[in-house]
Amino acid sequence: MQFLHYFGAAMALGLIVIGAGLGISKLAVAAAEGIARQPAAADKITGAVNLPLFLLEGVAIIAEVFALVIVLMK
Amino acid sequence: MFVQEAIQEQVATEAGEKFNAGKVIMEHVSNSAIDHPLLHLPKVLGIDFSVTKHVLMLWLVAAFVFTIVTWTVRRHLKQERAIPSGFMNALEAVVEFVRDSIVLPNVGRKWVNTWTPLILTFFLFILCANAIGLIPIFEVLAVLDHFVLHTAEDSFVKHLMHGGTTATANFNVTAALAMITFGAIIVAGSKAHGFVTHFKNLVPGGVSKFVYPILIPIEVLGMFVRPFALTMRLAANMTGGHIAILAILSFVFLSAEIFKSSVTGVGVGLVVSVPMASLVSGLEVIVVLVQAYVFTLLTAVFIGMAIHAHH
Repeated sequence: MQFLHYFGAAMALGLIVIGAGLGISKLAVAAAEGIARQPAAADKITGAVNLPLFLLEGVAIIAEVFALVIVLMK
Repeated sequence: MFVQEAIQEQVATEAGEKFNAGKVIMEHVSNSAIDHPLLHLPKVLGIDFSVTKHVLMLWLVAAFVFTIVTWTVRRHLKQERAIPSGFMNALEAVVEFVRDSIVLPNVGRKWVNTWTPLILTFFLFILCANAIGLIPIFEVLAVLDHFVLHTAEDSFVKHLMHGGTTATANFNVTAALAMITFGAIIVAGSKAHGFVTHFKNLVPGGVSKFVYPILIPIEVLGMFVRPFALTMRLAANMTGGHIAILAILSFVFLSAEIFKSSVTGVGVGLVVSVPMASLVSGLEVIVVLVQAYVFTLLTAVFIGMAIHAHH
């Protein structure tokens, strides 16, 4: 039972990566489709995609920090 | 073969303590310990003002940004023609980029000149602090000291070594930056709507009365979560890249220790570690730019949200 927190942190990291990967891939797919249909609006689409992308990244990073905290604090 | 045996002998004599990758990495990314700082300063109001490595880097970055920007702009203003020359071109491009594609779309035409200076300062400072962290100043100093200078054990140069140099990789630094954002959001809302109305604007109007007990705590929590997210994002991104590079480079010493031959270590270094570390460093250059952009963009978005509140 002594090393169970390592297991928890590793699980957390894996789940974070799955979640963030799915989210970012959805955004990227939508942006690519939008730009392919309307290349003239590429700048606007990039601008609209950027903000949710960074917010998503922030959630993933905070989760990773908490995973690190699990390991360091025990 | 003789050289190899000599190196192995030296490794064997020095291997009294084993190579501890975690300890070395943490030593390199964390601030220097508070009990032996670079410069001892007296305590004021119970706060230790001693200069540690990240404080030194903060001062260096601030001085660097201040001198470069003021010198360039002064030189530009002194000349006769209005066409910029030299470094002023680059600076003007940055200023225009921040104003037209970060501040203006979010804050609006009315307040753009009020908030561009703050956000521009954020951008230049964070960009320089991040970028200077990629230049191995203190590591080069350590090599120079080991082979050329031979300073004493507790000299100033020795204190400078063993450590990361990215000031923005310290959570305290980014927390301070995010607190400025926190204040700026309140000031922006107060300037646009008045102090009391700003806090009323946090909660959307026109909903059922029974929703308010849930809504108000969520909005108050959200007010504090946004700077917290800014803090964590910047610091964790800057620390993460350095840890990745150091972990890849520590394969050299780990494999040399496992296979008990320094030639294997050098081979692993040449084949695996150095190419991978170079790739991660290339990625880091992008991360440095993107994180400075993200911090400023989110600050502008939050300020814009306070100004264009839906009520």
